[in-house]
Amino acid sequence: MSKGGKFNKPTWKSQYSEHDFRGGGDTRKVIFKTNKHKKDNRDWVSAGRSYLQDEDIDMGGSSGGGRYSKKFYKRDKKRGTPPPNHKRRLMEGPMSWFRVTLPFGNKYEKSFVLKTLLDKIQPLPLWPITWKVNGHVVTFFVDDFKVAEKLNDLDRQIQMPDGFKLLVKVHNGIPNVDVNEDLKEKIKLTMAKRYNAPNKALDLTKFHADPDLQDVFCALFKPVVFLTVVEIIAENIPEIEAINLFDNKIANLSFLKKVKEKLPHLKILHIGNNKFRDISMLDPFIGLPIVDIVLNGNPLCSKYKDQEAYIGEVRKRFPKVMKLDGIDLPPPISFDISEEVHLPPNLQTFLVSQDGESIVRQFLEQYFTIFDSENRQPLLQAYHESALMSMTMSYPYGQRDKSGSWLNWYTTDNRNIMKVQDPERRQRLLKQGHVAVVQFLQEMPQTKHDIHSFTVDLVIFTPQMIVLTVTGMYKELKTGHKVPPTRSFFRTLVIVPAGTGFCISNETLHVTNATEDQAKNLFKIVVPAVPAAAPSAPALDDSTKQQMIGAMSEQSGMNIEWSRRCLEETQWDYTRAVGAFTDAQKQGLIPPEAFVK
Amino acid sequence: MTQIVKSKIDQACRVAEEFTKLYYETSDKRRHLMSKLYLDSGLLAWNGNGINGNERIQKFFIDLPTSDHIINTLDAQPVLDSAVNGQLTFMIQVSGTVRYQDRVPKSFQQNFIITAQGDKWKIVSDCFRLQEPLTNNDTKS
Repeated sequence: MSKGGKFNKPTWKSQYSEHDFRGGGDTRKVIFKTNKHKKDNRDWVSAGRSYLQDEDIDMGGSSGGGRYSKKFYKRDKKRGTPPPNHKRRLMEGPMSWFRVTLPFGNKYEKSFVLKTLLDKIQPLPLWPITWKVNGHVVTFFVDDFKVAEKLNDLDRQIQMPDGFKLLVKVHNGIPNVDVNEDLKEKIKLTMAKRYNAPNKALDLTKFHADPDLQDVFCALFKPVVFLTVVEIIAENIPEIEAINLFDNKIANLSFLKKVKEKLPHLKILHIGNNKFRDISMLDPFIGLPIVDIVLNGNPLCSKYKDQEAYIGEVRKRFPKVMKLDGIDLPPPISFDISEEVHLPPNLQTFLVSQDGESIVRQFLEQYFTIFDSENRQPLLQAYHESALMSMTMSYPYGQRDKSGSWLNWYTTDNRNIMKVQDPERRQRLLKQGHVAVVQFLQEMPQTKHDIHSFTVDLVIFTPQMIVLTVTGMYKELKTGHKVPPTRSFFRTLVIVPAGTGFCISNETLHVTNATEDQAKNLFKIVVPAVPAAAPSAPALDDSTKQQMIGAMSEQSGMNIEWSRRCLEETQWDYTRAVGAFTDAQKQGLIPPEAFVK
Repeated sequence: MTQIVKSKIDQACRVAEEFTKLYYETSDKRRHLMSKLYLDSGLLAWNGNGINGNERIQKFFIDLPTSDHIINTLDAQPVLDSAVNGQLTFMIQVSGTVRYQDRVPKSFQQNFIITAQGDKWKIVSDCFRLQEPLTNNDTKS
């Protein structure tokens, strides 16, 4: 601790140089502020204002902040002249965050300073957030008004071992926060620790005070922090059903967008002890299936004359709420026509005729084996000599440029007749004749298809004509992308008999990027619903199938329709069907209507 | 011969433009008329659910949540005579987005085989697929 030298000459730029009486020598006499106060008390106010303006108060996301501070100054003026040595009174402020500055705090060990302060303020707790050191100056933040007041009172009250009294300056203030990858990772780990996977519940109570986040400023009322948290949820735990946001000083969530997409299953929202002044602040959550909500401890709760009005306002936004502030509500009276209509399930295979199954399977296996090979020329055999083929491409919904790869290669031959109006170009973009078709296929990027991602719809199966649609995903290889792009395709083939085999007379191909949800399953599906290479089950006659459906229904409790579906999807393998049912039921994937007989 | 093919290609494109406009308007706003677009024996394969016959197809549509389709791409070609014995038949390929009720829009792709029955175009087969993962159990722990 060098007391001399450095401080011999006052460095006026430094914020605290005026207090630098300990440096020894002539600067001791400088008691800058007191003099000023004596001259004109209005300066006291303006000094306070300029000081506050120097603070990095974050106005973003807390529009109330500015207005509030103005009031605070006005009130100060009215109160009149503070006596010269009177302690600056601390106001709670709208956000209730305080910056504590110990101008010479770093002259002592951190643990010693902390212990000294803690001894003085107990039984209050002390959670110093973002402890920062700059020369001798220590700054940190506290989130509790009582703690801040107490610390403010301790200014020049504690005798330190070196004989000086500890200076403690407390002001309203919020640090800025910059969420970088490191911080995001830290937040993620802290969230993981607070996530209860079996209950799908995330507890973010007093998040900024988490011991693992004390050295950074990670307060959820900061939009950037809240958005990061939502992003982490959407990426890692989209299945989340409950979230607790108590004690986070959140006043505003208007910056939240697309919560419905990111937390689609959120049922329980505990958001009490925050700073919401009006229930409309919760509008970003509208559309979520919330059944249990806690708002206690927010200013908005005191706005309602009676409980009925309060419940009404909550239910207007969250009509399914059955529990408010921990109290069960009477069920709302509703109409007999349910608002939500379900979509039929997504099935992997549809075959208009079971007889077509083996032909289709063989044809597709052969076709895609050649298609994925180095040389597609042998596909000449697979096309009718007058075959027609055309391709269209588009980006999937919501994906333009950011998450997927460009589909540049496919744009040249994109025969989208909504855009291609010229009849001549329409003619040219349609590949006519098997040579032209295969030449085009040859030019297409090299591919590896994931057969387990395939869906097959056989819609026409007659002796003269077969029409089938295959969809699925493939990886595009050797096209210079850093990561091989995953494409999703939809391909319809018209197939006609030719000699002893079959050939394609017409084909349309649509290429798009796989969505993130689709791509997750690429080359990963464990149980293929179409057992591509498995020995095919013996063809069963209808009466055997009926018997199996009956048995399945009896054993599973599902109705006939769902029992049949389950058997169809497992290719009438009864053991597999029962296994699939048991698995699906364990995971809660079977909707209640499956059991309605 | 090539001239015939050429005029058929032009016709396929024109019919496809009219057809899709009518089809999506009807399925979004006038579902009770859907059956008129299909052959009596028409077939709909909706996300792997097969529905046979225009009456049942209409019922299926009425049971679906309200929809709003936006078409992004359209393509069409005449089906070769050797497949359809000279019966005028077109294949139509559509991609776009569909929003059911107030849900998030999803991409879809759809293929139609339509044929001339007298002086009306009718759907022989209609294959619709939402672009989505096959199984929704990818969140299993």
